[in-house]
Amino acid sequence: MATAAAPEASRASASPALRLTGVGKTYIKRRSLLEMALHPWRRAERVEGLVDVDLEVPRGMLYGLLGPNGAGKTTLLKILACLILPTQGKAEVEGRDVATEDQEVRRVIGFVTSDERSFYWRVSGEDNLMFFARLYGLSAAEARRRTRDLLAAMELEEVAKRQFMSYSSGMKQRLAICRALLHDPPVLCLDEPTRSLDPIAAKHLRQFIRQSLHRERGKTILLATHNLQEAEDLCQRLAVLHRGRVLREGALHEIAARLPGREQYLIEVQGVAALPNDPRWSLDPEPPRDGLVRLAAAVDRGGRPFSDLLQALLAGGGTIVACTRREPGLQEVFDQMEREGVR
Amino acid sequence: MKTLGILLAFLKRDLLVEASYRTSFVLQFTGIIMSVLIWRFVSLVMKAPADTPGLEGMDYFAYVLLGLSFFHFLSSALASFSQKIRQEQMTGTLEAILVTPTSPGTVVLGSALWEFVMASVKVAIYLAVGWGFGVAIRFENLPLCLVVLAITVLAFSGIGILSAAFIFYLKRGDPITYFVSSASVLLGGVFYPPQDMWPWLETLSRFLPVTYALHAWRHALLKGATFRDLLPDIAALLVFVAILLPIGALAFRFAIRKARQEGSLVQY
Repeated sequence: MATAAAPEASRASASPALRLTGVGKTYIKRRSLLEMALHPWRRAERVEGLVDVDLEVPRGMLYGLLGPNGAGKTTLLKILACLILPTQGKAEVEGRDVATEDQEVRRVIGFVTSDERSFYWRVSGEDNLMFFARLYGLSAAEARRRTRDLLAAMELEEVAKRQFMSYSSGMKQRLAICRALLHDPPVLCLDEPTRSLDPIAAKHLRQFIRQSLHRERGKTILLATHNLQEAEDLCQRLAVLHRGRVLREGALHEIAARLPGREQYLIEVQGVAALPNDPRWSLDPEPPRDGLVRLAAAVDRGGRPFSDLLQALLAGGGTIVACTRREPGLQEVFDQMEREGVR
Repeated sequence: MKTLGILLAFLKRDLLVEASYRTSFVLQFTGIIMSVLIWRFVSLVMKAPADTPGLEGMDYFAYVLLGLSFFHFLSSALASFSQKIRQEQMTGTLEAILVTPTSPGTVVLGSALWEFVMASVKVAIYLAVGWGFGVAIRFENLPLCLVVLAITVLAFSGIGILSAAFIFYLKRGDPITYFVSSASVLLGGVFYPPQDMWPWLETLSRFLPVTYALHAWRHALLKGATFRDLLPDIAALLVFVAILLPIGALAFRFAIRKARQEGSLVQY
């Protein structure tokens, strides 16, 4: 028994938490009876859900899947949760193949859907969790203890005996996270967890994801969202999906650095007589205050143009008081991609 | 042991859900009493002689009471496989269940369990009410009846799992439950003996497990038949089990895989 467990353990620890290699998913649209009668030989329409996706998420990382509706985020999460089989490629969770080892994969992954309907509405939150705990293979005593602990951790103890239907959206979402944690999986997939929450509840949930799930419990988290701010706030790395393809992958600053276009700087200059003109940069000054000018500068990439700009400002009699490089937000990244014509 | 715990969890869940609809929970039992009353009066009007072919000396009210109770058990249990899965699809809970490591087979069995328990309770009520109306029930033969019931449940589970497979794949329009239930009522001897139909219909009735199950059930409970007397019926039912259970299991595996491939496992 020990000899069988050892390679299993080493396989799991050697692999990244999530690995997708050339994963593709093609949906075949079901045809209506009329259509089949009229065109019996016509090939059913194919829809590409995912195209040749390669991703690797190291253990303990909070990783974002970002993209507009229909980008393939949910398809990707459902493949990892063993609800959908990929048409091509291989998807692994903790070293286990979702196509051939689905039972094992389900033991190491927790899936949080944003669908409020996924609970029994007329049953209490506590009884809902107890039921799902048994499905995750916990004994009655373990299920009770785990349910109690999670309800306390999510501050749902007071409403535990109330019917699920009386819960607020925030409570429902927290209960969904409780459910995904029942079997203490190392990997969590969160599908738009703040979608139906008000801004305050969404903010609390984000804090909980970052602080409790990621930092304290050390979970690997794959978070699908179309909320740019959320992805920017939470995720260490991102994959930007569009029409089933990964357009960009990396930390936000890496994604931004690979974009064509200009670098953004904020420069404060004291006593400059005239702003230097050059096709390699554009300067957007605020009205001067006591001789201090704040410039939003967009400068060609490569380092040289920026050095030349600073020299030109100094040569014009100015003193550079402050200079900060401004990383573009995801909105700007998306805007840039749109200008590139990839969206 | 773990599977048993999971099945009990399904049972508890359904009890909690059903008990939350109190009126409906109570009404389903009063419906049984109404049904028995109706058939009591129908049998009084019909006054079918005991030597009618197929009745084999049984009083018609006793005959139809046993037919009703047993068929009620089988039809509700049979429908529960597909109906529960359909319900889980519609309410959105199926996805949450299928991401757990519990196998889809256990999910289907667990989902149907509550209906089996409720159907058993209803059979007991049918028999108790019938006994109250003077039907001579051979309660000492109950253990033998339970054996017949268990084999019949296995045979019908094969059909039920097959219908659940249809629901997983087609979502709506499960043809299996519809055809088996309709054919069982028409041909299986629920309300009248198959021998009283046209001969070719009687031949068709032999291809239905309910025909053998009802024959054995009635003869055990009304005529005190022994295990040896019921062996032909039991053997026929075992043949149905041997054919239907593997077909159901294979179709189910195929449907689950196909639905995962098409991405339609939790669609409705």
